[in-house]
Amino acid sequence: MEIVVCVKPVPEPETRLRAAADGRTYDTEAVKFVLAGYDESAVEQALLLKESIPGSKVHAVAFGPSPRTEEVLRASLALGCDQATWVEAPSELRPDPLATAHALARAIRPLPHDLVLCGKQAGDDESGLVAPALGELLGVPDFGFVVDLRWDAGSSRLTFRRETEAGEERWEAPLPVVVAMQQAWNDPRTAKLPAILKSRKVPIAKVAWTPLPAELGPTVPVRFELPPPRTGAKIVEYKTPGEAAEKLVRILREEAKVFP
Amino acid sequence: MSARVLVVGELRDGHLADPTLESVGSALALAGGPEGVVGFLAGASARSAASEYGRYGVADVRVAESGSFDSVPPAFLAPVVVATASETRSDTIVVGGTTFGRDLTGRVAARWNAAAANGVTEVRLTGEGFLVRRPVFGGRATETLRLEGPRRVLSLRPHSFSAPEEKPTEVRVTPAAAPEPAPGLLGPKRVAVAPIASGAGPGLTDAAIVVSGGRGLRAPENFHLVEELAQALGAAVGASRAVTDAGWRPPSFQVGQTGKTVSPQLYIAVGISGAIQHIVGMVSSRVIVAINSDATAPIFKVADYGLVGDLFEIVPALTAEVRRVRGL
Repeated sequence: MEIVVCVKPVPEPETRLRAAADGRTYDTEAVKFVLAGYDESAVEQALLLKESIPGSKVHAVAFGPSPRTEEVLRASLALGCDQATWVEAPSELRPDPLATAHALARAIRPLPHDLVLCGKQAGDDESGLVAPALGELLGVPDFGFVVDLRWDAGSSRLTFRRETEAGEERWEAPLPVVVAMQQAWNDPRTAKLPAILKSRKVPIAKVAWTPLPAELGPTVPVRFELPPPRTGAKIVEYKTPGEAAEKLVRILREEAKVFP
Repeated sequence: MSARVLVVGELRDGHLADPTLESVGSALALAGGPEGVVGFLAGASARSAASEYGRYGVADVRVAESGSFDSVPPAFLAPVVVATASETRSDTIVVGGTTFGRDLTGRVAARWNAAAANGVTEVRLTGEGFLVRRPVFGGRATETLRLEGPRRVLSLRPHSFSAPEEKPTEVRVTPAAAPEPAPGLLGPKRVAVAPIASGAGPGLTDAAIVVSGGRGLRAPENFHLVEELAQALGAAVGASRAVTDAGWRPPSFQVGQTGKTVSPQLYIAVGISGAIQHIVGMVSSRVIVAINSDATAPIFKVADYGLVGDLFEIVPALTAEVRRVRGL
């Protein structure tokens, strides 16, 4: 199976966020970037499929600025991806999920791609737009919120589950397909040192970025805001559990007004 | 300044789902009245539910009445939605930010060459342009985006918009323009749907109240304390990663960075210390209550109200008190 996995660098989860000087996006100065959490699940899923289907290959693809995008591609190679392609974004480019989908689609079209795996969203902008848009641009079905993805060799179909508001759906899909992962069922692996060293020697293919025509309706960041810091909980004092319950329910009804 | 809005409806139990009503509310505000709003529905019961749009003054409803829309991928629906938007000269498509809506938005945006945003909590059409506000970084920040160009597609975060006031009108139901989807999109099949393991309660991501349990419950057999409180509140049940990793509850219960992000009106954390992994999944909830025996637990830093003490005493008392005031 020829698997393409899309990866994105995001600030590590513990990052203390600050607005950038222009107030439009967040400040990336001194921020450590890592492979996005759901993308990590997608990479793990790609590697599990590769290990279970002889002759499979995993190709990591990313769109974004230097150096962090190249770094997550290196990290993906160290985890076990076979090849990597990078569409380098100009550093001044504002993030735009549809532009990202177009850039990734350009990179993926010439590659063999039975299965394109993504995270369902990235932990920074959480747009959740790239994988469905990629499905449309590649002309294949896409599925979001997927868990438990498996290959059924007998029927040559992928089987997977999706959790929706309606319940837990079970699906079967022939290839090719775009899948956005909800979470991995296995803990994503960590790269071993020899693999990290080896990954540094793998050449990363580069695809040129071209701006989208303006009529495609760009998304322009206007403001990035942090909420006022939470001041800590108001601790409810009580003598008996019954009093605690009574006081809390009264607060929720009368003060917080969240109780029916 | 006003928009022409197509609302893509979602059915639940044969009726318009709550997120669809919220979409109608937002659409009426954007369009400056019901004349600029068109309703859309797909599925076997699309026609019978179409009249529900009329309750809110929306008279023009397009339906793709076919059971096949109930069991095909969202990709299959995008061509119908885009054709309907073009036919009705809509410039804005609004859908509820459910799993259905969030998957549809990107697909439709790419097909319609539109700007798009998921999980929107505020929309404004002003001299500055079409502005949307949405939480990012798991609710730790918000961004305001200007969606430029002539078309845009939005999914709205559940519970962020009000359902519109009733203003009944007669509905004109028209079959939707339905171009044939590419044959390649027809392969995948939904083979089964089962109720989620969380049981009878509402789904985690669209519940108005969520009660989550953590390691403080000590053993899987104590998790019923959380479930009983949730049941009394009509809430969904969640769990910390410690609980799902230990296998007390399936991974679908997990709230947090590698699980689900929730933003209910009320979030009650029971025996959860508040690792950052968990916090990012629930910090955008409107009101947070923490119940924990450790007064120094980080969960109390993000909570609005805290009860420090033995959850094995407090939670049953709370369940009883909730039942009492609700007359259960």
